[in-house]
Amino acid sequence: MVRPDRPFPTRARQTWTIARIELRRVFFARHSFWVYGLALLPAVIFFGHGLEAKIRGERLAQRGLAVPALLDSVREGETLDEVKERLGAPARERWSVRSRRVRRATGSAGTTTHAIDPAVEARFVRLNITNPSYSGEPRARIYEFEVYGPQGRENLAFGRPATGSIPCSPAEGPEKAVNGSVAGGEQDRWCSYDWPLYLQVDLGTTRPVARFVVKHASAGGESDESDTREFNIQVSTDGKVFTTVETSSGAAFVEERTEYRELIYFDGRRQARYLFVDGRVDNRSVRPLLDFEEDRAIFAGIFQFFYLRLAVFFGCLGLFMYLFSGEMSNRTLHYWFLVPARREVLLAGKYAAGLIAASVIFGGGALLALAALVWPQDPVAIQAYWNAGGLRHVFWYTTAAVLGCVGYGSVFLAVGLYIRNPIVPAAVLLAWEGAAGILPHVLQKASILYYLQSLCPVPAPIEDDVPTLIRLLIAPAAPASRPGAILGLLLLTAFALWIAAKAVRRMQISYGSES
Amino acid sequence: MSAEGQAVVFEEVSKFYGEVLGVNRVTLNIPPGITSLVGPNGSGKTTLMNLMTGLIHPDHGRILVRGLSPRDPEALMRITGYATQYDTAPRWATGFTFLTTSLLLFGYERREAEEKAWKALERLGLTEAANRKVAAYSKGMRQRVRLAQAIAHDPDVLVLDEPLNGLDPLVRAETIDLFRAWAAQGKHVILSSHVLQEVDVISDQVVLIANGSIVAEGAIRDVREEIDEHPSQYLVRCRHASEVASLLFAEAHVTEIKLNEDGMGMLVMTRDRQQFARSLARIALDGHRIDGVVPADENVDALYEYLIGGE
Repeated sequence: MVRPDRPFPTRARQTWTIARIELRRVFFARHSFWVYGLALLPAVIFFGHGLEAKIRGERLAQRGLAVPALLDSVREGETLDEVKERLGAPARERWSVRSRRVRRATGSAGTTTHAIDPAVEARFVRLNITNPSYSGEPRARIYEFEVYGPQGRENLAFGRPATGSIPCSPAEGPEKAVNGSVAGGEQDRWCSYDWPLYLQVDLGTTRPVARFVVKHASAGGESDESDTREFNIQVSTDGKVFTTVETSSGAAFVEERTEYRELIYFDGRRQARYLFVDGRVDNRSVRPLLDFEEDRAIFAGIFQFFYLRLAVFFGCLGLFMYLFSGEMSNRTLHYWFLVPARREVLLAGKYAAGLIAASVIFGGGALLALAALVWPQDPVAIQAYWNAGGLRHVFWYTTAAVLGCVGYGSVFLAVGLYIRNPIVPAAVLLAWEGAAGILPHVLQKASILYYLQSLCPVPAPIEDDVPTLIRLLIAPAAPASRPGAILGLLLLTAFALWIAAKAVRRMQISYGSES
Repeated sequence: MSAEGQAVVFEEVSKFYGEVLGVNRVTLNIPPGITSLVGPNGSGKTTLMNLMTGLIHPDHGRILVRGLSPRDPEALMRITGYATQYDTAPRWATGFTFLTTSLLLFGYERREAEEKAWKALERLGLTEAANRKVAAYSKGMRQRVRLAQAIAHDPDVLVLDEPLNGLDPLVRAETIDLFRAWAAQGKHVILSSHVLQEVDVISDQVVLIANGSIVAEGAIRDVREEIDEHPSQYLVRCRHASEVASLLFAEAHVTEIKLNEDGMGMLVMTRDRQQFARSLARIALDGHRIDGVVPADENVDALYEYLIGGE
């Protein structure tokens, strides 16, 4: 049937022609512009990081640079003046004062002495407890309540009849507060939680009183939190009319001030932070403004966990799944079926177009991200990196991104030919790819990610505090060798394309309303 | 080259859309020349065309287009051009790029592809619009650009789905001339229409389709004869309808009579128009008063409606 005047294009040429036509559609498809966002996100992150460091460095350098060797000379315990004298004015200085309320120390533990001047006449003395403890516990504990005359060394209350609010237990009655001892433990105190809390002693006869001594909980060996917080002392000659002679808040609070001061010096590359507490170096850290090594580890993490797992995955979904179904819904697919080309050639052409677009977008995205990572770093560090095989890293990162497009592209092309709605297959595939790490070794080999991870030049950092299950999920499976990984990936791709070819051969135009 | 090798052949072809029947056991042998597939909307014309160009595949049966299987687009589409009814074009395409890109896929060098594209556009009177986006064309222009694309690579089999739909009379006449020129070179021009008169005159053969089945097929003369053999309907007005009816019913060529409810007329179906005329004359001569005879399916459309719709 072949007429001599009709040219016979080779299938390869047809494939290329189809790919060229499709490229325009894939690159500029309005519904897949978000793919560019995914691809450029790491570059944007690292560019922002670098820019921020650059600007920060500029600002710090404006205040003058410090001598590098001096940055390391600062030791903990040095005073502010010593440091400033040696290093000069800092690039930045910040200070703050923090104050907090603390209890004033009582001196002799748990004992308060209250002098009454001039002396008062009293037969009855009463201790009213208005706030029984610092801890908030509503329980009064008094180990001893002593009363002294103007000259007297004798405790007028000793052994006198004592009354008070109802005790906590019969063994802790008011008489324990006038028994002259504090050493007998909790059985040697007066204790009460019956409001109002008071303790009253009858001195027998009216006599001058000039001094009171109260021994609180900590005097008997309890926590000082149980010491009486607020109380007053009253006296009476008849036991009916009482006069307040002393009001005490027990142990009061005071403000405690701490001065914190941070000095920042910059030597053009490293930034030193010295933290002074009350004028002395308490903490020091000298770190490069940009830590190339740390940034590279972060890049490795972003590349594996975000770029390969999510960006390339969903990007290929967006670019490849609609290669056929998009034209089916636009009602333009039949034009391809009406040219003298095998359906496999059409498939290859469309796959090539998707692959070129995805490789440019995601390979380019990876390269841009690497450029943004390297750009702000110290030139010496960059040189060292290149010398230590940095270019090899760049090559393998780009290769991993491109091969990711090869693998995921073929899978999504095939999936798109069988299923129109992308959500379910995307979820299933994402789960499969994510869970591959905990699958048996044979099944791991049916996951694209398994091969891609083997290609990454730097293992992704995994923090020590990551839970075991998540660690299992994100940790790369036992890696294959690089040639093995590439071969495995290509085999997987070939299989996916073979499945796709079967579907394309059987494919029929059905635009809905046929007549 | 055998006769079958030059024809478009359907052998017992059936196609279902799920449970819905597309075409049923179609057997056809279409020789070169202009062939019209005629049938109402939804009768299966497009299905037949999609089947012969491989856009869809038959569930049963075999199709050969000039000896080639529609399953082999690489060979088939080289000699086939198909202007579908799908009124779409890629968003990027201008009339000119639309044609050239498709021609590049046929293997033409760019220069040659552009020449051929220009020639086809010229032929369809689209040169002025050549560099505008197809999406911005009028419906008639889009119809023509699809036609231009179908003929651009000079195919031996030209398949056109409703090609005259939406064309103004002048362009229509030019387009028909194009079909004739094509057919004169011994090529296939297979077109579809739902209006019989439209293609009656220009077709070498007509295939009547209804509900996915072939109703009549052959050279236009044969189809007409076939139509003659089919029962014709006449509306007879007369005073004593029941008497006339009984007389008519005695005639062998009359197959069916429906009396009007008013008793003043009837619908008569006959297999032979001339016999029917003679019988009616005889009855009138016998003294029965006949007020009038009107053929109920004189116009082509009615006849066609009758053929494909009357069971």
